[in-house]
Amino acid sequence: MIKDLNNICNQKVFEKLFNIHAKDLRRFLFFKTRDIDLAEDILQDAFIKLWNNCNNVNPEKAKSFLFTVAKNMFFNYKKHEKVVMNHQKQTLKSSNYETPEYLLVEKEFLVKIEEAIATLPDKQKEVFLLSRMEKKKYKEIAELLGISVKAVEKRMHLALLKMKEKIGKV
Amino acid sequence: MRENLTKEEESFLAKWLDGTISDLTLKELVSEQDFIDYKKIKNGLVLLDELNRPVASSFNAINDSISKKRNFKNTQASFKWGLSIAASILVVLGSYFAFSFEEITHETSYAEQKTISLPDGSEVVLNAKSAINFTKKNWPNNRIIQLKGEAFFKVKKGSTFSVQTPNGLVKVLGTQFNIKDTDTFFEVVCYEGKVSVTNNKNEHVLTTGNAIRKIDGKNSEKYDKEDSLPSWLNGESSFLSVPLKYVILELEKQYNIQIDARRIDDSIIFTGSFSNKDLKLALVSVFKTMDIKYSKEKNGILSLE
Repeated sequence: MIKDLNNICNQKVFEKLFNIHAKDLRRFLFFKTRDIDLAEDILQDAFIKLWNNCNNVNPEKAKSFLFTVAKNMFFNYKKHEKVVMNHQKQTLKSSNYETPEYLLVEKEFLVKIEEAIATLPDKQKEVFLLSRMEKKKYKEIAELLGISVKAVEKRMHLALLKMKEKIGKV
Repeated sequence: MRENLTKEEESFLAKWLDGTISDLTLKELVSEQDFIDYKKIKNGLVLLDELNRPVASSFNAINDSISKKRNFKNTQASFKWGLSIAASILVVLGSYFAFSFEEITHETSYAEQKTISLPDGSEVVLNAKSAINFTKKNWPNNRIIQLKGEAFFKVKKGSTFSVQTPNGLVKVLGTQFNIKDTDTFFEVVCYEGKVSVTNNKNEHVLTTGNAIRKIDGKNSEKYDKEDSLPSWLNGESSFLSVPLKYVILELEKQYNIQIDARRIDDSIIFTGSFSNKDLKLALVSVFKTMDIKYSKEKNGILSLE
């Protein structure tokens, strides 16, 4: 292992950069591709490229490197897809299966949801995050907080009401 | 009673969100517009879950591809080098360096190999449990690398290229070479070209196929080596009349295991090789041939008898 804390070839530095940027990059790629699996593939390729260039990229520049590389990979993918589609003489309507609804959520709407969660009253937010982020069941949350399951459900219910109110008509 | 009923009703959104009640039931409880709004929020939350999924598995996948690529690169590189070699040497010796902080250090762990590009385009392949360091400053004029452990160098033509090890200084002109360094074992093999090795103030010039080594403080001995590349680049560690303790040391490095050799005579001479990829095979090829029994203790240490 490399000890230099300013060198991406140091596996610790690389891992740290990954932990800082991976989720943002995944999200960025999702809204470009609308395809969670493709976003994941490009995410991995972008970090592999960063590793292969670890001696040439300054850690402070890693973020712009990753996003630029990812963007280019996405364009190349699109170009390739176009070639494939032309080759197959396919029309624009290439799929006859329905896209899951959640994949159609707009970026702006997602931001609104996050803001709404952030402004929830503490007690509701606590329950809400334990349920959604930590994937805990209402019963587990109740045990964790020493309150009844009913109380947990009530807080969740209120949280959703508040969020809808906050987000408004969409 | 009525109060209880209200309370029950007041949690229907929670029950809908975790799937206890269905979309249809919710539709009956709220207006159509509200239902659409809630549904959209739920979709957003599901997407958030997807996007916030832990990234650890992605990181593991990346690490896997990197290590696969590394092995691929090594074999590819060694093939390419075979064609373009000006000179190559192998040096073995050992002890620790005090690495200064301004310097760039590359290090490998147990069972790891790593290919590193130097500022001038020269390349270094580090074998397991080895380290190099150098200063980027003045690099074109001052190509000095410090090495602990074992490494193979492919040097771009240019000014002098030197590798400083505790046991000696190795100088090459436009070449590739491989150095390994462990306390009392020092070996340099020149695979192609011309190399100068300075050790204990004596200078030895090696040409293609020559090797020099110094073991346990005995006089240095010169010998010939027919291989065109160090065997470890292809996943094998090989030894020519070497005390068994160095073979054991290499096993420990390549497999990250601990071996207890107190009950055997580890000064007996070993000639042969072992695979760096298959521990079982490696143990058989080293110890079966030497008629040494080995068994794994409860604490994970491999003990020899």
